Amino acid sequence: MNVNDKAARQKRTRQIITIIVLIVVFLLFVIPFLLVLINVFKIKGDITSNPLALIGEHGFTLQNFPDAMAKMDFWNVFKNSAIITFCATVLTILFSAMASFVIVRNQNWKACSLLFALMIASMVIPFQVLMVPLVSVYGGIFHILNSRITLILMHTGFSVSMATFMFHGAIHSNIPLELEEAALIDGCSRWQTFWKIVFPLLKPTVATVAIIDAMAFWNDYLLPSLVLGDKDLYTIPIATQAFYGTYSTDIGLVMAALLLAMLPILILYLFLQKHIVAGVTAGAVKG
Amino acid sequence: MERNTMSYKSKQFLMFAGPALVLFCMVIIIPFLYGLYLTFTSWDGVSADKPFVGIANYISAFKDAYFWASMGRTIVYSAFAVVFVNAVAFALAYLVTSGIKGQNFFRAGFFIPNLIGGIVLGYVWKFVFNRAFVAIGEAVVAGTVPSLLSSTGGAMFCLVLVSVWQYAGYMMLIYVAGFMGVSDSLKEAAMIDGCTPAQAMRNVTIPLMRTSFVTCIFLSITRCFVVYDVNLSLTKGEPFNSSVLAAMHVYNKAFIYKDYGTGQAEALILFIVCAIIGIAQVYIGKKGEVQA
Amino acid sequence: MKRCITKGLVLAALLIMAMCVLSACGESAEEGNTGSSNGITIFNSKMEIQDQMLQMAERYTEKTGVPVEVYYSSDTVSAHLATKYASNNPYTLSMVDAKDVYSLAEEHAVDLSDQKWVGDTQYAIEIGGKTYGFPVCIEARGVIYNKDAIEKTTGRKFKPEDYRTNKAFAKLLKDLKKGGMESPTGVMKEDWSLGAHFLAQVYEERDDPDAFVRGLSDGSVKLMKDKKFNALMDTFDLLMNNSYSKASAISAEREVTEQKLAEGEIAFLFGGNWDWSVLSAYDYTENMGLMPVPQDLDDGMNQKLVGGGSKYFFIDSSSNTSDEQRQQAKDFLNWLVYEEEGQSFLVDDCALVPAFSNITKKVVDPLGASVKVYADKGALIPNYNYLPDDHYAILGAMFQKYLAGKSDRKGLAKDVTTYWKTKTLKPHEN
Repeated sequence: MNVNDKAARQKRTRQIITIIVLIVVFLLFVIPFLLVLINVFKIKGDITSNPLALIGEHGFTLQNFPDAMAKMDFWNVFKNSAIITFCATVLTILFSAMASFVIVRNQNWKACSLLFALMIASMVIPFQVLMVPLVSVYGGIFHILNSRITLILMHTGFSVSMATFMFHGAIHSNIPLELEEAALIDGCSRWQTFWKIVFPLLKPTVATVAIIDAMAFWNDYLLPSLVLGDKDLYTIPIATQAFYGTYSTDIGLVMAALLLAMLPILILYLFLQKHIVAGVTAGAVKG
Repeated sequence: MERNTMSYKSKQFLMFAGPALVLFCMVIIIPFLYGLYLTFTSWDGVSADKPFVGIANYISAFKDAYFWASMGRTIVYSAFAVVFVNAVAFALAYLVTSGIKGQNFFRAGFFIPNLIGGIVLGYVWKFVFNRAFVAIGEAVVAGTVPSLLSSTGGAMFCLVLVSVWQYAGYMMLIYVAGFMGVSDSLKEAAMIDGCTPAQAMRNVTIPLMRTSFVTCIFLSITRCFVVYDVNLSLTKGEPFNSSVLAAMHVYNKAFIYKDYGTGQAEALILFIVCAIIGIAQVYIGKKGEVQA
Repeated sequence: MKRCITKGLVLAALLIMAMCVLSACGESAEEGNTGSSNGITIFNSKMEIQDQMLQMAERYTEKTGVPVEVYYSSDTVSAHLATKYASNNPYTLSMVDAKDVYSLAEEHAVDLSDQKWVGDTQYAIEIGGKTYGFPVCIEARGVIYNKDAIEKTTGRKFKPEDYRTNKAFAKLLKDLKKGGMESPTGVMKEDWSLGAHFLAQVYEERDDPDAFVRGLSDGSVKLMKDKKFNALMDTFDLLMNNSYSKASAISAEREVTEQKLAEGEIAFLFGGNWDWSVLSAYDYTENMGLMPVPQDLDDGMNQKLVGGGSKYFFIDSSSNTSDEQRQQAKDFLNWLVYEEEGQSFLVDDCALVPAFSNITKKVVDPLGASVKVYADKGALIPNYNYLPDDHYAILGAMFQKYLAGKSDRKGLAKDVTTYWKTKTLKPHEN
């Protein structure tokens, strides 16, 4: 047995162990998700009496889906959610990447450090603190609630802090200053440098921020419920919450609504997942 | 080009940070200041008049034993949750970047908990704790087994467990980006120099991933401190209000007990405690950052 | 490469613009509705009738031409309304609990004293001589029983009026156990059930609840020596010690408990007629009902249920609602009380017990029917609607401790006393 064989074998055993560990942890992670999947095909009574059974006593049913879709006016709320999530995610990424660029590169400017400190501090404000003042100002004084644009801008406003924080870290440690200096010498303005050199290198972070914020916007309930009063403007979580109640819960419908709601995000994630990898490997950012 | 004048600086600043700054101020700073004003009134949340009461709300907040108890609980919960979330997330990130087959599949899988929104997540875990675990437990010991959620320590343990489950996948993403930011050539160079893989990890990879650590720890601290929906849907503060965390207490105080001013004042105290811890952590973390 | 990026950027910018235009378009089309003074919005806080409300709204609009939109929120009612008022966007008609009417009405509600229905109900809420709250239904609490299950196990007829005393009730539970029903009762661990429903009976089941609460607050009442407290706790002990979830009372889920009751696995549960919406989701029997909480006191309270009006509509009085809308809202309330269709909506569709004496329709669900019997013969002990807002949560938690065996009767009495000592009582209407 030569040395190479041995090393290769060791490597394989290690890989197998890793995979086994991952599978075990993976199962732990998806059990609750599987429970949703199992129970979505049952009627309410069967869910309560035995949530673990694969098929309920009253048999397999698909009825939860059309019921949930009809009750929540699915296609309309889906469209609303899609528009709001997409616009707010794009705006968040653009605005916070820009802001973090100027903050990282000009740390000695007072405005920059002040803004950054405020942003970090704001991330720990419990939303309940801002809830009533927010609607008092924008509903009570300016009367601009009940609008998708308002919601998009508010979503963006609430999430720029965290996105800026993440881009800040990425620019700070992953974008070499020399690249920018070279571009500046070539006659690029700061603005051009940012878009042509820096932003493309931020792809992995863009993908991360995109998936995290898109998720947050897609699933957010509290803010949209405060801003959107009109039924025509409802998003998926607001429509779904009509199923939750203090005194009774049709959990089968809830699960169906939930499954419908998370599919698009799951697909988006699988798609972006590739980009996180591709972005990093193609960039060869650091070395 | 003059690079040191005020006008150049402000133009640059506004050009890049302007949009973010405006939105940030509009939705956070202005409502926050207005909320601050409300803490000096004895408003009940719905009435038109907001009588000014000075610092009375802060005094009653400081005297509110339930609030401080919930604060203490929040600190304990956060400490456990932050450590476990990050340990699990880091380990997972390491495993899914080690080049094994199907790592993309695993990455997607670990992220799944994030796809299930707050309330239903609580329902589902309630099933697991109250029904599934109990059924399994009873099968094992052949007797009645109380649910974990029914004891004080158990409920807090469940909260930590669910938080780990919920956030680990998310933090894993950030650690994955961190791992990928450390180039293989550096690690290989270290190994050629005689480092074992463990040493390479400790001396090369981890220091270079400092930003990821700072980010993840900061995010997990801030999230744990203001956690509300999992608390509401999983334990609802039960048993006997022993698992009411600070954000939940604040919400109840303001809206259910209709003491809006005091609730808002307590929220502000929560914010300050949280801000101090969060910023201190970032400051310490960034200070020792490796410049590469 | 670079060109690709610029292209991408331009594309993204175009997309954003397109999206913004798209979302703006969608809005301008809807703008007409929001500012309109025609049509009413109804806030429904009774989750279990949301479906029926939505269907009713469609029918009502079709028939009368008045647009009706029904909203529901899973948020706390007071928090939800607070944000609605803060944003100057209140509902025309809001359905709230009695205590919310007391806190909101004077500032936000229209005086309804001149309405005809005021004369047909004894459950409307009046403050300072003005009627503000329209009672949606009557709800009452007591012990829910499953007659079929009891008769099957004991082999003899079950008549609830035979079990008024703690002793008789205890004997029945023993018989049920002998007959093979291992644990004949269930207990809900929810703080509203323990704190707002069971414990509140200690205040309500006496001639002058106000005086008693004042006595608790100034320390003159010694709870451990109070007959009512002890009598009710004796019965609670019976329910608790015979419960199927005795070993893990604190993790008993309401859905599971109700399913066991509906299917006859247990026979008794302290609750109210609102529980029907949960029970009816399972394989239930029609032979169920509500009976008074048994107790060893001869004050006659063990022949009555506790309850009265539940959930009230009030009409917004602010300038955000037009007089035309207010009139439409009043018309709607009258429709509920006086039109055949409205009555049928309340009684048949929603299975509520109507709070109006002119409605004679038969109540469909068995628990509601029990309540109706007691209400008709005047055997309802009124709710005490002036408890502090945090009462149910804080004392509910203390009661949970008792339920979990972490505290005894003395400890609970002490907790209750301590709680009341910190409260300053606000004067209120009677």
